[in-house]
Amino acid sequence: MSNAVVKSKEVTLLEILDRVLDKGVVISGDMVISVADVDLIYLGLKVLLSSVETMEKLRGSPFISPMQEAK
Amino acid sequence: MKLYLYGIINSSDQIKEPIYGLKGSNVYNIPFCDIGAVISEIENPIQDVTEGAVLEHEAVVEKLMANFAVLPARFQTIIDGRDSLLSMMQSYYRDFKGNLERFHNKCEFGIKVIWPADKVKANILKVLKKDEQKILESDNSSSKRFIKKKFEGYKIDKEFEAKADKFIKVMDIFFSRFAAEKKLEKLKTKNLLLDAVYLVEKDRENDFREAFGHIKSGPLGLKYLFSGPWPPYNFVVLSKKSDLLRDSEQADLFDKVTRCQALAGVDSI
Repeated sequence: MSNAVVKSKEVTLLEILDRVLDKGVVISGDMVISVADVDLIYLGLKVLLSSVETMEKLRGSPFISPMQEAK
Repeated sequence: MKLYLYGIINSSDQIKEPIYGLKGSNVYNIPFCDIGAVISEIENPIQDVTEGAVLEHEAVVEKLMANFAVLPARFQTIIDGRDSLLSMMQSYYRDFKGNLERFHNKCEFGIKVIWPADKVKANILKVLKKDEQKILESDNSSSKRFIKKKFEGYKIDKEFEAKADKFIKVMDIFFSRFAAEKKLEKLKTKNLLLDAVYLVEKDRENDFREAFGHIKSGPLGLKYLFSGPWPPYNFVVLSKKSDLLRDSEQADLFDKVTRCQALAGVDSI
């Protein structure tokens, strides 16, 4: 697998994590079993993956649509 | 048995094609009035957030998006049984309906724009120094030099922001033409000039992509990350916090559900 494809997939994963772990319908209340760890894990991933340094590493390859790449 | 929620859809019908969710579980729709909660049964909350589990969640939501308006649920939303799910659906029904109507036939696109912040600042400083030189030549007083020095940093930051605004404005003009809604975040980090999401009608998707193509091939010399189409994760707005139902509401709940089911032609849930 080429370096560009690997990087593109990393970006795709970052985009997915950014949405799935932090956005969308967030239900609160007693009917929902809360899993507090998700926030902590998300925070860790966010720092790890969406840091400027990580984005800077991608500068060597063209930013094509990661969704297209993934499919 | 706990219920793992993938999303809310604008249909009370059963999903026609089989969809498999976390750990290969069967995914199905639990109707409430004219909408539905798409779930699979789960014994215990997932302890580890793995890449595979996140991708499985997202895959279900994307499959739903192909046929329905969908409100994607956040990963790891687990409801404590059917009664709780129905309480939740009742509590949020109006919010869910409103969002589903907004999202009908629309999807989300993400655009990140990266610029070389240090280079931009260096150029600003260069221009400032040039101006400063002119002033120093005409007025070489120490007080003037002091003030210039003092405000140099401030001016750089101000100019940096102004440049960012200018770039973002140009780009947003292109994208907004084809978007129903948008959310823009400027300079999340100094290099991340723009982190934007746009809600786009599905039949304007190609126009939106073309607009991106124009910007990307333009003279701005920036780096871009374009992603989508996504389920509209970033545009879900819930105004109502889930409340515990009062006794009277609790008593009315199952009556209402029964009426809704009758309207929707559903025998049991």
